[in-house]
Amino acid sequence: MRRSISLYSLTFSLPLLIWQVLFFVFPLLFLIALSFWTVRNFVMSPDFDPVNWTTMYGRAVFWQAYGTTLALAAAAAALTSILAFPAAYAIAFKLSDTARRWAIFLMVIPFFTSYLVRVYSWQIFLSDNGIINVILGWLGLGPFTMLNTVGATMVGYLTLGFPLVVLLQLFSLIFIDRTLIEAAHNLRCGRLRTVFEVVIPSARTGLVIAALFSFILSFGDFVSPVYLGGGEPTTLSILITDTTKSGQQWPRAAVVALTMIGTLMIVAFGAIKFAYRGKST
Amino acid sequence: MSRDTLVSFDGVVKRFGSFVAVQKLDFEIRKGEFLAIMGSSGCGKTTTLRMLAGLEAPTEGVIKLSGKPINDLPTWSRDTPMVWQSLALFPFLNVRENVEFALKMRGVGKAERRRRAEQWLDRMQIAEFAERNISQLSGGQRQRVALARSLVVEPEILLLDEPLSALDAALKVRMQSVLKNLQRETGITFVYVTHSQSEAFSMADRVVIMSRGVIEQIGTPQEIYRTPGTRFVAEFLGSSNIFQGRLVPGDGGGAALDTPLGRFETGADATARLGTTATMTVLDTKTHLAAARPAHARNVLPVRMIGEEFVGATATIYLEAAGGQEIRVQKGHDELSDIPLEIGRELFVYWEPGDAHVISEA
Repeated sequence: MRRSISLYSLTFSLPLLIWQVLFFVFPLLFLIALSFWTVRNFVMSPDFDPVNWTTMYGRAVFWQAYGTTLALAAAAAALTSILAFPAAYAIAFKLSDTARRWAIFLMVIPFFTSYLVRVYSWQIFLSDNGIINVILGWLGLGPFTMLNTVGATMVGYLTLGFPLVVLLQLFSLIFIDRTLIEAAHNLRCGRLRTVFEVVIPSARTGLVIAALFSFILSFGDFVSPVYLGGGEPTTLSILITDTTKSGQQWPRAAVVALTMIGTLMIVAFGAIKFAYRGKST
Repeated sequence: MSRDTLVSFDGVVKRFGSFVAVQKLDFEIRKGEFLAIMGSSGCGKTTTLRMLAGLEAPTEGVIKLSGKPINDLPTWSRDTPMVWQSLALFPFLNVRENVEFALKMRGVGKAERRRRAEQWLDRMQIAEFAERNISQLSGGQRQRVALARSLVVEPEILLLDEPLSALDAALKVRMQSVLKNLQRETGITFVYVTHSQSEAFSMADRVVIMSRGVIEQIGTPQEIYRTPGTRFVAEFLGSSNIFQGRLVPGDGGGAALDTPLGRFETGADATARLGTTATMTVLDTKTHLAAARPAHARNVLPVRMIGEEFVGATATIYLEAAGGQEIRVQKGHDELSDIPLEIGRELFVYWEPGDAHVISEA
């Protein structure tokens, strides 16, 4: 068969194509161009000067923020995956069909409200005079500083990623061939060991993709590190806003943004390659 | 329970909610035999196997393995490896890792594991595929991996749940001889569930025929073929002509059966059952065909030919007796050479009284 672009198929793919070019390719190219502009007296002018790249990559604070963000996002991906797995496992294997539908519905509900609102509501729980400290106070404990800590940032990342990770893990667990689990049991593999020997390897693709989503969401998140972490330590998202605010340094912010995009691409590519390793296409 | 009994089912019942999958199973599996459990789908054969494997718990009754009750033993604590219909090979492990799996679970060391897996890979002639992924194997090769994976622990018993059903006809026949030889050489007890008569009869030492959760008959393939125990078995096998009637005293030594089609002499000694209704079977290979009424024969039935079917050297002639009863005759071509085989032709079938079997059920 001759492979050619027919007018028919073009008509239907055109809107998507235009959308992609307008809102993805064009802004990305603009961002790249912007990173070579120069700023003098708070005024940006088009230029082709690598000074922004050398300046940002020469700063310790940039690399510190980069390391922090990478570590926090990796920790969030690991923590979310580990906490979500028992929930996804129970929903996939222990619930009746009806109960499973309800559980899936409950996991979708968090998406009804804005992430920002959910993060603000965490403040009410975590602040020095918040709900948790009041309850601990009744027991004669505390108060503990919970807000404006890395732990609070992590709570925010969990809020962001947990429901999605549970759903993604769930959908990979549901499709595991149950006879594989029976076969493992039959070959003297106990219940818990079967989870590690059979269930996790069978669901690997889905589990890795779920962790990747948690990583991507946390890596670029601005809300949690600011409103729960108090801006400390500085993440790349905070660095971007700080850079734009200080002296209209949009070109330098573009350098940070492009570095983030590049990093996410490498991580996503690596993760997907790992997820599908050993599988025929 | 005799000394060579490996497994016994004692009054075993399995219910799923209000559905009774298996009712009152009482039978024994002998050490070292090849036992086939046969029946149509939903007869309870797979449930029986799964109870033996520990994948289902009996609702009532006791299953014993080597004399010990195993009802409460989870599947991972018994040595009853099973080969699944889907084979259930682990797709994320290669061939060698699949075969080593059960050894790894038993804590066998790496070198020993490899040595024993190697033995079975060789024996099943799949050593050259050891490092391949399961997805790169053919159906027959996968079959061999599944067998090696289950047999590597050298169990006393192997359970097989229709393992050949996904293979094409030629490969099926080949794998049947592989299985039969394997069983003979290892002496491992095979319990083989199938809906296929040819698989069961070609491999098994004994066959259990089940229907609606009940055992209809247990016996060697010959016994079941020649002397079906119930009308169901005779119909299920489909290799006999079946007549129903009343037992009356016969002219010769045996009883005769009074049927709407006439009185037929049997070789059966049925003095105790005279006057009762009974079912008689005559194998289609023992039913003879003639163009004219045979003078000497004692059981003759006039029939009309309605069809014929040829498979290889054998012909099956379909005939109809009075009242619409279908009669089948199976013969070699040379035996039929002087009979005019035309649809609608009036012919005669006859058989020896000794070839008529009276089913023992009431």
